[in-house]
Amino acid sequence: MNYIHEGFKEAFKLLIGFDKEVYSIISLSLLVSTSATIIASIIFIPIGIHLGIKEFKGKRFFSRVLYTFMSIPSVIVGLVVAILLSRRGPLGHLELLYTPKAMIIAQVLLVTPLILGLTYSLAKSRGKTIEKIGLTLGAGKFDIIILTIKELRVELLVHVVTAFSRAISEVGAVMIVGGNIKGHTRVITTTISMMNSMGDYPMAIALGIVLLIISFAINSIIYSYSGED
Amino acid sequence: MEVLVNDVRKFYSNKLVLNIDKLRFPKGKITGIIGPNGSGKTTLLNIIGGLDREYTGQVIYDGKALTQGIYRNMTLVTQKPYLFRRKVYENIEYPLKIRKVNKQERIKKVQDIIKRFEIEELQDKKAHLLSGGESQKVSLARALVFEPKLLLLDEPTSNIDPESIKIMEREILGFNEETKGTVLIVTHNIEQSKRLCDDVIYLEEGKVGN
Repeated sequence: MNYIHEGFKEAFKLLIGFDKEVYSIISLSLLVSTSATIIASIIFIPIGIHLGIKEFKGKRFFSRVLYTFMSIPSVIVGLVVAILLSRRGPLGHLELLYTPKAMIIAQVLLVTPLILGLTYSLAKSRGKTIEKIGLTLGAGKFDIIILTIKELRVELLVHVVTAFSRAISEVGAVMIVGGNIKGHTRVITTTISMMNSMGDYPMAIALGIVLLIISFAINSIIYSYSGED
Repeated sequence: MEVLVNDVRKFYSNKLVLNIDKLRFPKGKITGIIGPNGSGKTTLLNIIGGLDREYTGQVIYDGKALTQGIYRNMTLVTQKPYLFRRKVYENIEYPLKIRKVNKQERIKKVQDIIKRFEIEELQDKKAHLLSGGESQKVSLARALVFEPKLLLLDEPTSNIDPESIKIMEREILGFNEETKGTVLIVTHNIEQSKRLCDDVIYLEEGKVGN
């Protein structure tokens, strides 16, 4: 039991003492996951709304495929990106493997089905009414997408945060494409995983606490924004 | 705007729900559409309003088929209005914003219509939290603020208080008089159709009756 107690004590020391390594890991985690979530949201929220409202052939099949991809394992995404970016892969010449950019790409691919699927489902159930009112007031296609985003902003924010939570808490994809290189591609989850296997608990505990704090802060923001208690 | 309905047929799961050979709604007139439940009144309004495209036949607006330009010149107010999750003022301002009306003119027009509808005390309230009668007034104000050439009303005053009905009827008549906009109003209230309409058509089982 003592080592757990010592682990926590050491963890707080690292956090309060602004340990350079710990904070560089936290910064990179936030940078990678925030960038991936923002990129995926900007591109796929409007597309999700458009597809959700629009009637098209094969919509039911599309829904099934999309919902299946929402639970895609992160290691598979990591593997696909690693194959594409590897030296012999089709995008090998870009030399992105084992860089933060590769980690962002992998996380964009990871959260895209989640953002697209949740937005699509929301637009399918509530977008039609908003579209109808928009049309009766003379809104064009682009106006309707903007109007729908504004009307569903609280729900969409929850979706974005859900996607961010998935990104920041996953290990598989960033481990495969980032390589967990110290000072370069090491993020919270890969560090916790590595420290655990090495039996070095203080830093793992410190980063675990940070992950929980991030999660709590995000949820607090959502609750205050959506007016719940 | 003059509206012509030619040979319009509408089916719902193989059942013919609207069957109109010819119908003309003259420019600048208020026409009432009355009839029992399920007679096709709302379906007709949705087809004219461009919300329902799955029908056969033609609807002609001032001699033309439906385009985005025509869309921009007409509007439909439903029985259960949907107001945006924002302030009443912003709801009424929305049609002007998407038409790129400049800010000063927007303020003037929105304030003017708020005053006419006597809803000054509501303008800063969240629109989706209003009562039924208040929502109907805001919905009509939002429809009239951009002075459409064709105003479609689907039982706009059902289940609201007499004072609100009076204000809404006054504004519908005022709009028609001032802008010469065409109005089509679906109503169950014969007295209301007498008060408002230049002409009334009766629908029964999807057909124009006597």
